[in-house]
Amino acid sequence: MTGYRNLTIRQKQIVWAWTFLAVPVVFYVVIRFYPTGTAILISFQDWNLLGSRSWSGLENYRTLVADPVFWKVFKNTFLYLLIGTPVSLVLAFVIAYHLDKLRFAHGFLRMLYFLPFMTSAVAMAWVWRWFYQGVPIGLFNNMLASMGIAQVEFLNSTTNALPAVLAPAVWAGLGFQIIIFMAGLRAIPTSYYEAAKIDGVGWWTVLTQITIPLLRPTIVFIVVFSSIGFLRIFDHVFNMTTNNPGGPLNATKPLVLMIYETAFTNYDMGYAAAQTVVLFVILLIVSLIQLRLLRST
Amino acid sequence: MAGLALRDLRKSYGTTEVLHGIDLEIADGEFVVLVGPSGCGKSTTLRMIAGLEEVTSGVIEIGGREVNNLEPKERDIAMVFQNYAIYPHMSVKKNIAFGLRSSKMPRADKEARIADVAALLGMTELLERKPSQLSGGQRQRVAIGRAMVRDPAVFLFDEPLSNLDAQLRTQMRLEIKKLHQRVGTTIVFVTHDQVEAMTLADRIVIMKDGHIQQVGTPDEVYRAPANMFVARFIGALSMNILPATLEAGGDVVLASGGRVPMGLPGTGRPVMLGVRPDDLHPQKGGLIDGTVTVREPLGPETLIYAETAAGEIVAKADGRHPPEVGSTVQLGARAEDLHLFDAQSGVSLR
Repeated sequence: MTGYRNLTIRQKQIVWAWTFLAVPVVFYVVIRFYPTGTAILISFQDWNLLGSRSWSGLENYRTLVADPVFWKVFKNTFLYLLIGTPVSLVLAFVIAYHLDKLRFAHGFLRMLYFLPFMTSAVAMAWVWRWFYQGVPIGLFNNMLASMGIAQVEFLNSTTNALPAVLAPAVWAGLGFQIIIFMAGLRAIPTSYYEAAKIDGVGWWTVLTQITIPLLRPTIVFIVVFSSIGFLRIFDHVFNMTTNNPGGPLNATKPLVLMIYETAFTNYDMGYAAAQTVVLFVILLIVSLIQLRLLRST
Repeated sequence: MAGLALRDLRKSYGTTEVLHGIDLEIADGEFVVLVGPSGCGKSTTLRMIAGLEEVTSGVIEIGGREVNNLEPKERDIAMVFQNYAIYPHMSVKKNIAFGLRSSKMPRADKEARIADVAALLGMTELLERKPSQLSGGQRQRVAIGRAMVRDPAVFLFDEPLSNLDAQLRTQMRLEIKKLHQRVGTTIVFVTHDQVEAMTLADRIVIMKDGHIQQVGTPDEVYRAPANMFVARFIGALSMNILPATLEAGGDVVLASGGRVPMGLPGTGRPVMLGVRPDDLHPQKGGLIDGTVTVREPLGPETLIYAETAAGEIVAKADGRHPPEVGSTVQLGARAEDLHLFDAQSGVSLR
């Protein structure tokens, strides 16, 4: 203990800082960085999970580039991202903006919006799957039928399936985004709005010149988080298309589902690892671009 | 340019009335300061004039026109907020221009007006900066600039100096006063700081618990406070209040023994004798005896805290030869510097 006592205050602070940092450092190294490193390593190897690994160089990546399913899946993943993120961002903002002004039943409504976020994705996917069935089972088709509109094949059509799977995913994430947006809206001082009121500017100017620019940090956070979420979409797709995961005809298959099938249906771990590395690189690039774009003022 | 009138102005939140009938006439070009402790209703009054709070009952007139049901932008007013309310993502120029956004003036005129205001406030070189690159005083100036650019009939200031440090506050106070002398627009200024009120105002309105206590020039409220609250509130050092009795002969007899002829009719009624520390000095044959407990040297003079039979009182002594701590002093004042209040109502008796 005398050794510790002889340290300067600064050195003591460093000792304590590292004592507390040690736990997450160990966690990240063992649970995160080591598997990530191993995955990158396996992506250059051939391995069926049981036998021995053998080096295959860039073979897995060559297969990937030549695989038409990969490109289909790649496109699907970006469709989830490019439709899901803006739709959920706009929806969450519009709801939060109006909910923020509402006094009556404010807490109850906020709870209602937050509820899907706490619900299991599997349960939700199965309920939505039921919504999408044909007459006389499915809710949506029953409603359409009662209005005399023709049946819509939600999950069995290659064009409708992806948006149909995306809808519950957007809905599930909405509650969280609304809460974040409302916190952002609350953080804007009311005197900004009062000053604008005295200056006599309209609500549109207030929205575009004051509210949205001041919400920039909130928007950055939500865009980055929901983008990562949509790029990694899996459970909604898997549970809504269990009979033929990612179907029909790979129309809904995202990258994570392809990785899962390659690894645990085909036991081609090297190929799956290569796909994982590609997903990792995409996530990294998309996040960095968004941070750069939205942070610059 | 316009005057302002409040007639029996009331404000309630639910069943709680917070303003109980404010009557006030403000002349064109006058600088009026509303002052009082927190919760006295001064900010509510200002926000009602601005149109940010609805009027429960009563009338607000600006330039002879009732504005009760007009939107803030239609009232021809401009307001400077305590936290300045300047937009952090806009340059100084855009912030000032925001005040003109809804006006239908040609662009060139707007530019000219912004340049004029910037020159008047000495901010021409700062126009392209962001608020984060400005000091507190400069931000305050931007907020004033945004109000000025609209050329309103009435300026409203809501505690605009309370976020500044002491030195800057004194400096900005002076600038606001000079600005008023130059532009001559009617100003309603809210503060809780009586020094600000005294130094800035043409007339001071002292408020407490939603009532006006007194309206008058700084000199009037200092020399002839209407009641004990005003007497204590105004003045850098709070007035000493000593319990006394007004006797039939017109003499006031302190509970601790001293006697002063006040020449007021009375019949042994209980009163409060007030004397400002600035008027109370050590002197032979004074009003009250006390033991010096603390000295605060201020340079030219020294504040003396003395323990007397009527409690602790504060007096001023000469800066060079103040009485020692522990010594006994007799403290006295000139008869015309004494104030007399009714013990029950606190209303001034002279």
